Amino acid sequence: MSIIQAREISRSFEGMEVLSGLDLTVFKGEFLAITGRSGVGKSTLLSILGTHDRDFNGNLSIAGNDTRELKSSELAALRREHLGFVFQDFHLLPSLTAIENVILPVVFSGGNLEMARSHAEDVLKMLSVRTDQTKTSLLSRGERQRVAVARGLVNRPSILLADEPSASLDEESEQILFNLLDETRKEQGFAVVAVVHSKGILERADRILELKDGILHETI
Amino acid sequence: MKPSEIHLALHLWNRGHWRDYIFSQGMLFTASLLLIFFISIGLGVQNVLDRFLSSDLPAEQVRVTPPGMQAGFFQTETGGMEITEDIKVSLEELPLVARVDPQIFAHMPAYLRGHLGGQPYYTDITLEGVTSEFLGDSLLESIDWSYSLEDSSRKLLPVVLSENLLLLYNAGFAESNNLLGLTPDGVIGMECTVTLGRSSIAQLDHTPVTVRARIEATSRNMNLFAIGVPFEFVDQINFLFLPEDTRRYSALVITAVSAEDVPSIVREVEETGLRAETRRGIAQKAEILVGAVTAALSALAAAILLSALSSAIHTLVNDLRNRRFALGVLIALGTPYDRLAMIFSFQIFFMSMVTTILGATLGCLLAWGASSTLLSLSPTLRAAVDTLAVFPVGWLAAGLGVMLAASTGIAYVFFRKILSTPVTNLLRP
Repeated sequence: MSIIQAREISRSFEGMEVLSGLDLTVFKGEFLAITGRSGVGKSTLLSILGTHDRDFNGNLSIAGNDTRELKSSELAALRREHLGFVFQDFHLLPSLTAIENVILPVVFSGGNLEMARSHAEDVLKMLSVRTDQTKTSLLSRGERQRVAVARGLVNRPSILLADEPSASLDEESEQILFNLLDETRKEQGFAVVAVVHSKGILERADRILELKDGILHETI
Repeated sequence: MKPSEIHLALHLWNRGHWRDYIFSQGMLFTASLLLIFFISIGLGVQNVLDRFLSSDLPAEQVRVTPPGMQAGFFQTETGGMEITEDIKVSLEELPLVARVDPQIFAHMPAYLRGHLGGQPYYTDITLEGVTSEFLGDSLLESIDWSYSLEDSSRKLLPVVLSENLLLLYNAGFAESNNLLGLTPDGVIGMECTVTLGRSSIAQLDHTPVTVRARIEATSRNMNLFAIGVPFEFVDQINFLFLPEDTRRYSALVITAVSAEDVPSIVREVEETGLRAETRRGIAQKAEILVGAVTAALSALAAAILLSALSSAIHTLVNDLRNRRFALGVLIALGTPYDRLAMIFSFQIFFMSMVTTILGATLGCLLAWGASSTLLSLSPTLRAAVDTLAVFPVGWLAAGLGVMLAASTGIAYVFFRKILSTPVTNLLRP
């Protein structure tokens, strides 16, 4: 059963077409890896799938919602309820601790704070990230990466969109992270759409799609 | 959203950024402080000027005086011009004149003796005879404005005290002699004895005459300079003490048929060589002075307010601009736009409100302190007004409300503008 359906997605920047009518279906619970050379539009595709970028042509349906039809507030609700994000540059607030960064979206959205805090602590412990009062600006790059992953998982999303989630990690940490993601994914049933380059991680994927010339090519 | 959740959201959002608010809130604090200070002191100064310059001279009246200055029986050089009976009659015959009310000084030394705060009190005085028409109906309702020497055994001489004289007493005599100041309400009902024909510096050959008197009212009428008593009484004692003197008036108050006739009457009077004063002339001078002071204070307050307010808003907006990225993160993670707008508007409103209230409070205290200091340094001011700091609560609240609305409103508009920016742009470094 599909959770994302993208049809004829095109996106141009100043006249230069980056995505050229690509089609994509993401199924519930699957791990979909996207590869491709630098600058081919992988991050752009994730931005569109994450409803951050709306200046595209084509149709995008997430969890049965046609995103073209949704107002800003409805899109925000869709992101909050169905999507989790791990940004390439983490996008953490440096003056906050790891746990505060993870629960921040819940704090501002008015969700169940106690549950979120407890869940955040569990996820951070699983990822071996300290839950003390250390500001994230003082954490290592690898630790910050794991905090970003934890934040992506805290709202128990239907889809986790991750832009090179293990880029800053050594091989061992990378394996630990994806072991955890696999475990959580199987437990909670969310899909993972990740931009990945590491062979070790690509082997874990259910499907691998290569973005080339603006469209996706299946490699498995 | 519960208050505790709003508190936590703001606590997390502002961590490490409080210093950014110090400047903007400092400017807002200064703006509210100066606004309150200038408004209250400005209105206080205006009150003082009004007090010194206000006049009860009706619009249709013209005050005619000799070209010199006369104070009691001391007469400065008048260039030979005195207001005689002939002049009064000639003015009465002018077609546009409805009535002429004469005033006359008692042309002999006099003194007053009484008690102030339980202490015996003595002062040389000048009596001025005024007519009942001059006093007007409102005062006459409660005063029997008639007296002659024959009445001295059965009634008190009614006195109307010039508030200008009271001002001089408070500012000069009382201050230098450590005596209590007197308010207009406080002197009404005071009784004393008035002795005519003798003072501390002069005495006539004639046996002095002493009568008992009672202060019945005070008057701010600019035509009354001294101690006002019934015209007939002064006329009578002038004749008693100086029978060979011709009757000379200290002033004539001409009432025109209508206020529009006043300029013509003024021209006629001035052609005779006498001096004519009207409310219009006095009011114009007062208005120019009060207007200039008010305009200067208003311009200063407005300039300070505008610069402080624009600095505060500029800093608030800059802070939001610097945190576009953090807002982008929150939006990207699905925080509702309306909730973000509500939380940040509340923060700016609450912060600005606390700041303006603190600034206003300090502004009030400063104005009050400045007023107390100035009044303690200047007996003249102290005699004229109780305070130099006026606090019109409604206007001050409105001024602070405008500042609050301006800072919150502009920050909100800018905030909505940021929220309408595509998330990908906000997240771009």
